[in-house]
Order: sequence, then C-alpha cells, then structure tokens
Amino acid sequence: MSNFTRETYTVDGVKTVVQAIGRGEPLVFFHGGGTAEGYDFAEAWADRFRVIIPYHPGFGESGDDPTFTDMHDYVMHYLELFDVLKLDRFNLVGLSFGGYLAAKFASEHGHRVKKLGLIAPAGMIDPLNPMLDLLAVPGEQVPGLLVSNIEVLLKRLPEKPDLDFMGDRYREATTLARLWWERPGDPKFMRYLHRVKMPTMIVWGDEDKIIPVGQAETWRKFIPNADIKIYKGAGHLVHLERSESVEALGRFLG
Amino acid sequence: MSGALRFNAMHFMPYVHLPDNHKDYKSLWVSFPNKYFDPDKGHALYNRYLSEMVLADKLGFDALVVNEHHNTVYSLMATPNLIAAALVPQTKNARICVWGTPPNFMLPNRLAEEYAILDVMSKGRLEIALPLGTGMEYWSNPVNPATAREKFKESLKIMLQAWTEDGPTTHYGTFYTYRFLNPWPRPYQKPHPPCYIVGTGSPETIEIAAELGFGYASVFVTQQRAKELNDTLRQRAAHYGHQLRPDQFPLLTFVYVAETEERARQEYIVHLQRFFEDYARTTPQYLAPPGYLSVDQLKQRAAMADKMHGGFDFDAISKSFFIAVGTPDKVANQLGEWAQWMKTSHINCVMHVADMPHWKTVKNLTLMAEEVIPRLRAREQPALRAAAE
Repeated sequence: MSNFTRETYTVDGVKTVVQAIGRGEPLVFFHGGGTAEGYDFAEAWADRFRVIIPYHPGFGESGDDPTFTDMHDYVMHYLELFDVLKLDRFNLVGLSFGGYLAAKFASEHGHRVKKLGLIAPAGMIDPLNPMLDLLAVPGEQVPGLLVSNIEVLLKRLPEKPDLDFMGDRYREATTLARLWWERPGDPKFMRYLHRVKMPTMIVWGDEDKIIPVGQAETWRKFIPNADIKIYKGAGHLVHLERSESVEALGRFLG
Repeated sequence: MSGALRFNAMHFMPYVHLPDNHKDYKSLWVSFPNKYFDPDKGHALYNRYLSEMVLADKLGFDALVVNEHHNTVYSLMATPNLIAAALVPQTKNARICVWGTPPNFMLPNRLAEEYAILDVMSKGRLEIALPLGTGMEYWSNPVNPATAREKFKESLKIMLQAWTEDGPTTHYGTFYTYRFLNPWPRPYQKPHPPCYIVGTGSPETIEIAAELGFGYASVFVTQQRAKELNDTLRQRAAHYGHQLRPDQFPLLTFVYVAETEERARQEYIVHLQRFFEDYARTTPQYLAPPGYLSVDQLKQRAAMADKMHGGFDFDAISKSFFIAVGTPDKVANQLGEWAQWMKTSHINCVMHVADMPHWKTVKNLTLMAEEVIPRLRAREQPALRAAAE
C-alpha cells in the first residue's frame, strides 16, 4: 500500500488506522471480515475521489475493543471517526462484512451517504441462499472459497502462512466471533433496510462461494432501485477478480 | 489429611467401537458422525465402566474421577453429574470427583443445585473441578468462545454466592440476572465442596484459581510445564493471600501396572497409542475456536504443535507426560518421585485408556490398589508431611 498515506487516530480510546489516496469527493471504503488481501484495487478510484480506507477496530492495523459485541458498535465508531475526519457527506462502499456495515450505516444515517456501493454484502438472512458460515471453516480452506481463480489471491498471501499471519487471522476471526458466534444474522438489520434510499449499486460474482449470488435478488426486494451488476466467473472477491467491477462502481459514484 | 498421599482412579469412559474407516476423519471430536454410535454397545460400555469405578472404590482408591466432553468418542460422559449420581449409591468411601462440567454450558444456579444434590446424597463425598471447557466443546455448544472467560468468571461468582450466602440473594451481571438466587438444596460440605480449576495452562485461568484460592489441575501439558504452572499458581495464590495445600495440586498420571516391565509395556502401549492417535485426535481449528485463546497463546501453541509433530513414540511421550508403566516397584517409585518434585500429595491416575479391555482395567486397578498404593503409603514422604504441618 505504498501509494497510500497512513494516519493513526484515537477514536473513543481505540487506535484507528486510516489509509487514503487520491483527490476529489470523499469515498469511504469499508473492508471485509479479513484484511490479508490488500486494497491496491482502490487506486483505480484515486483520479476522481479521495479514497479513505479505515481499518475497523479488531482488524488489520487498528486496535481492539473487546466491548464491540454487535454491528451497532461499529456504526457508533464510524460516527465518531467521521467527526474526527470532518466527513459530513460522502460516498460509501463496503465489501462483504463491510457491505453489511455500510448498508447498516446508510439505513441509520442516510443523509450522510451520497451514494452507496455494496460488493457481495453480508448481513442478509436468506434461507434459500444462505451465507457460508466462515467461522466454521478451517483456515486453510478459506482462500479457495474467496475467489474463483485462486491465482488472484495467492499472489497477495504469504507462500506459507507463518505464525504472525495465523495470529492476525485468528484475531480477526475473534473479532467476528464477538459479533456473530451466537447469532450470525440480525433480523433487525433487514427490518430497517428499506430506509436505504440513496442511489445504490450492488456488485456480485456469480461464482461466489461465501455469499451466493442469489442474494442479489433478495437485496433488490429491500432496495428496489438498486443497480445490480453480476460478473460472470468471479467469486466473493469480485473486485479483485474483475477490475471492471471496480471501474463500474467508480463510474456509478462519480 | 492434606499431606497424606491420595490416589484417584480416573476414567474417560470412551466409546471404543470405532468404525474401520475412522482414520479417514481428521477429528474424532466435534464433527465425527454420531451415526457410528450403537446404543446397544453403548449400554454395555456404561455398565462395564460403572462396574470398574465401583471396583476402584472397593479396592480402596480415595476418589473416583469423571469428567465432561461433547460430540466425541473420547468420552461418553456428556453430562457427568448423571454418572456421578449413578456412582453415589454404589460406592461407600471414595470421594466422587466431577472434574467437571464447564459452568459455561449450564445455567450457574442449576449447576450449583446439581452439585449440591450430589454432595448431600453422598454425605459430603463430592469434589468439583470447574473447567473452562476445551475448544472442542465450544464448537459443540451454543456458547461464544470469545467471551468464554468472562462468562466463566461470572458463573463461578454466581455458584459461590449460591453456596456461601444465605438466600435469597440477587445477581445482576453481564450474562445473567438473578432476582431470586436461592437454590435448594445447599451443599453438605461447608462452605462448599472442594473446588479445583482445571486447564491446559492459560495464564488467565491460573489467575482465576489463584484469586479464589482453588486448587489447579493441569492436563495435557508436559512435565516441565506442569511444574512451572504449579509454581506460578503457588506464587499468584500467595499474592491473593491464599496458602495452597499439597492436596490442591492433583497430578494427572497415566498408570499401568503388571507383573513385569515387559508385560506392562506389551499390554498397555497399544492402548495408549490409540488414546493419543485416535481418541484424542482433533484439528487445530477445533482446539482453538475464535477468541478461545489470546493471539499470543494461539501462536505459542501453534509453535509447540509444530515441534511435537511426528508419530507416536512411547519413550518420548513417557518423558514428556506423567506416564508410569511397569512393575509395582517401578510405578511406585515414579509416582513417589513425581509427587515430591511437583510438591503434591494428590495423584490422579487414569486407570483406563482407549480400548483397553475390562480384564486389563481390573488387573490395573487391582495391582495399583494392592501393590503400588501400599508401597507408597509405607514410605509417605517426610517432606510432604512437613509441608502439611
């Protein structure tokens, strides 16, 4: 991430690392439930946007807050961080876990979000297209489930995971377990999802092995005006497997 | 009393009828299909195992130890209080040790009640261990491993309050709210049955034992590590003003006694090998669900697992763990030495492992009771007596 600037803030006692690149309207990107794969894809937005990528508490370079036990704690954290960053109204894009968080933030604070982009978002309880419970999957199987073409991911991961890599992933799984172990889904999220009224684009890979692409249609029921783009042959990390999806999001937001 | 040597007979009560293809499964825990459980065979096993525990009482073992595991062939005691309840009327002298039900998997008042019932029924023969539960149990029970330690502490507080304070009392905590904590019955022993914390050496768990002045039993750690843990606990307990007695450090041993060394090895090693290779076989993922360990602990254990990787080697494993196999003289010498080294008077002997047949179990219990224990009692360590006084 050498092209990104890196700032450290203390938000309500939690060390929060924010990376940024580019000039223009602010575009906040919420990362997914793991941070191993990196964010260089977002450089494609840097010519038109000020791209801001914070590490969520409990992930990547940010600190831990074991009192975070549901998604709402993250919404509160971001209200405070956006105050610190003096971000009033911005574009918001979220991937997977971050997509869930972005949609939740947008349903509660819609006036702050100019446009919303969701990449294979989590959070939907969809019995016909259930999300894979990643917490139950052995770590060594996860990379193969994240993409269709494993080469895309392998070049971003250490050849042989060392203890630090294992520790980092275990820590992020711990953060997710605090939120999701007992109840992987929150019906209240869907209860208020209709409040997402800003222009919204949802992108998905049709070979997503984590969150089936069938959920895209379920999202449409809650956000009828959403623009849904499906990319053939791509898996859960569709933004890494199809740069067109990143470009499409950029055009939509711009 | 606390200095006198004491010998427990511990039993895991495993399900021994493994299918021929069981090696295809990386773990015989958590996800090993329960279609392989045959209730007729299970019925015979429960009867047999209970008879072995009853025999241990008749032979003069000081205590019988049962414990709890879920979703596994390793142990058929998913609810050990039921086993203990079956043992109470069939036994006379032995203390009944439920070592134990992880409080996180029960409502704390209900666990306090069950233990009180066993204690009253047995007229004060109950002893309790309070484990956090292995990582595997958190995959098998709907309890969050990431908050397990916090919940565990709260459960302990509720149980101790239920036993030691006249009810009704109240408890308003993070995980539980009790508007009327007032369980009937209350324990026979005052203030409550002897309690131990049991674990694999997490510093967080040691600290809980130290704070409460409870005993601590480490399981499946090396000899050296077990000694370090005992020493750490003694120091930490002193910090909280508790002087722990030698009997508060149960030493987990695997024992097999036979007429000759050669015969003992020939009769025993095959079962011990199956115990480690098959019955205890599980995956790193199952051992450490998210949040069950701190990240530092996870890394330490992963590094250790890398080092220990390799086939079963009896001589290596006997040096690592407390495994005494041989003639009565040899076993008595080893147990005596270990007790002295570990500064404990409390020897917890696993008398049956894996698919060891009934006759070997009976032989082992009998030789231990008639040949080994008397040898050790005859030469009670003066050092321990001094420590007790």
